[in-house]
Amino acid sequence: MTLRKPVALLTMAAPLALIACGGGEKQETPAAGPATTQAAAPAGGGGGKGSASVSGKVSYAGTAPAPEKIKVSADPYCQKEHKDGLERQTVAVKDGGLKDVLVYVKSGLTGTYPPPTDAVLLDQKGCMYSPHIITVRAGQPLKIRNSDETLHNIHPRPTVNQEFNIGQPRQGMESTRTFDKKEIWIPVGCDVHPWMRSFIAVLDNPFFAVTDEDGKYEIKDLPAGDYEIEALHEKLKTTTSKLSVKDGQKATLDLSYKG
Amino acid sequence: MAVVAFDRGRHLLAVLTVAATLALIFVGGLVTSTGSGLSVPDWPLSYGRLMPPMVGGVFYEHGHRMVASAVGLLTLVLAAWTARAEPRRGVRALAWAALAAVVAQGVLGGLTVIFLLPTAISVAHACLAQTFFCITIALAFATSREWLAEEPPRDDAGGVRGAAALATAAAFAQLVLGAVMRHIGAGLAVPDFPRTYGRWLPTLDVLSRGPVAVHLAHRAGALLVLAALANLVVRASRAQDGRLARPAQLALVLVLVQIALGAATVLTARAVLPTTAHVAGGAAILGLCWFATLRARRHLRAIAGPAGVAMALGDPALS
Repeated sequence: MTLRKPVALLTMAAPLALIACGGGEKQETPAAGPATTQAAAPAGGGGGKGSASVSGKVSYAGTAPAPEKIKVSADPYCQKEHKDGLERQTVAVKDGGLKDVLVYVKSGLTGTYPPPTDAVLLDQKGCMYSPHIITVRAGQPLKIRNSDETLHNIHPRPTVNQEFNIGQPRQGMESTRTFDKKEIWIPVGCDVHPWMRSFIAVLDNPFFAVTDEDGKYEIKDLPAGDYEIEALHEKLKTTTSKLSVKDGQKATLDLSYKG
Repeated sequence: MAVVAFDRGRHLLAVLTVAATLALIFVGGLVTSTGSGLSVPDWPLSYGRLMPPMVGGVFYEHGHRMVASAVGLLTLVLAAWTARAEPRRGVRALAWAALAAVVAQGVLGGLTVIFLLPTAISVAHACLAQTFFCITIALAFATSREWLAEEPPRDDAGGVRGAAALATAAAFAQLVLGAVMRHIGAGLAVPDFPRTYGRWLPTLDVLSRGPVAVHLAHRAGALLVLAALANLVVRASRAQDGRLARPAQLALVLVLVQIALGAATVLTARAVLPTTAHVAGGAAILGLCWFATLRARRHLRAIAGPAGVAMALGDPALS
């Protein structure tokens, strides 16, 4: 892969950036690698994987909004699944880490990355979507399953891709659909159960991650290069950061939202 | 023309169809107000069957289909009965028109589901509902004792016929605007009431935004309907005929209630009940205006010549 060769004078240590969003705070700290300055890096990608990685923690400073109480009595099955009621926490914070933030390489890749043929699963379970943030590649099959003993319709509302609305009246039903074009992101919902709301991110490269409940993420196999890394949360402001990595480097990019 | 005998059963069926249609409009309004329009993704079956579990949004959407089927059945029986028993060709044609309209309405409802609520089809579905409602009212009135009484009409000296037609046209235009506003999602394009973004008169910048313009046109339309109905009430009251004045007065009261419901719709951020009541209230106002128009046409005779033209234009000073 010719474009994987790093070009020069970047910092020996990859940047560990702490970029505040919503609050304007920005910090950079050295990464685990050697600390040198890299002047310019070649465009990464070339359609192949690399040996660098970027990981970090997305933090949320401040008090997260109180969870929203949701009535699910419209469907006895859903009520049975959530005897004590359902609470939706769209800004989910644990030990300062923010869950369900999509972090992905927005630009800087030059190659094309054919989508995998194995399907991504979007499950409807307990009258909720699992996972909450669904990541799928453009052209990759998205398998939609109804694991509930009640009916659901699944209705994404894309603006770039083709909208669809399909019903799954029985438990265990599966349908497969594909989004052909990159689109970040697509609201998806069930019109039967209005609280079921989620997002599908259709990406054109494999370099993305969604933060776990501790707010941590890791993007592996990144080719050396200069990138724009974008982070999105369904309720909070989108942020873009610059990142340069060399082959084999384990960069750290921490992000912070303010409440 | 031969005297047509009053057919109590058929008239009651027509009245029942009118009532069921108003209820259907309310239930249809509930579908949109609760965001349940696509909770049943297939049509004409619901999740592949005639009777799906009535849970969540399915309760509203499939419930709407069930009430619509009942209205369709009532209309079918009414049309068949009318075709068999009605001597007047015009009334028979009206009954067939009702049947055609209810079938077309069902197809439009199906298309809007299949094509994921395109604005044009959803608005057409809403407007045809009102048109069908008016046809059922006409059928009910045409089969009533009042219509069949063959009472000689009086001269329309007060311009009631024109005023009633004007009020009906204004109410229908307002319903079209309301349907467009609702289906392009402009119901909250102006989030305050009675002012617009804190001002009594909106700025040009605000007005230049499409959804805001539609929303404000609907608000302005309410004032026009109010004025048209006030005009009708005055003229109908001068005609000294309670049959003309009562529907107009009731419609005028309903317009005031309707404005309050419109305000409540905005101020509650489209809470389900005020929003849906607003939809049904609009239909009731149109129905009363249309009924007043039919009564005026039946009991009042147009004055020919310049005076009649002046009356139709609504200016008694010119007559």
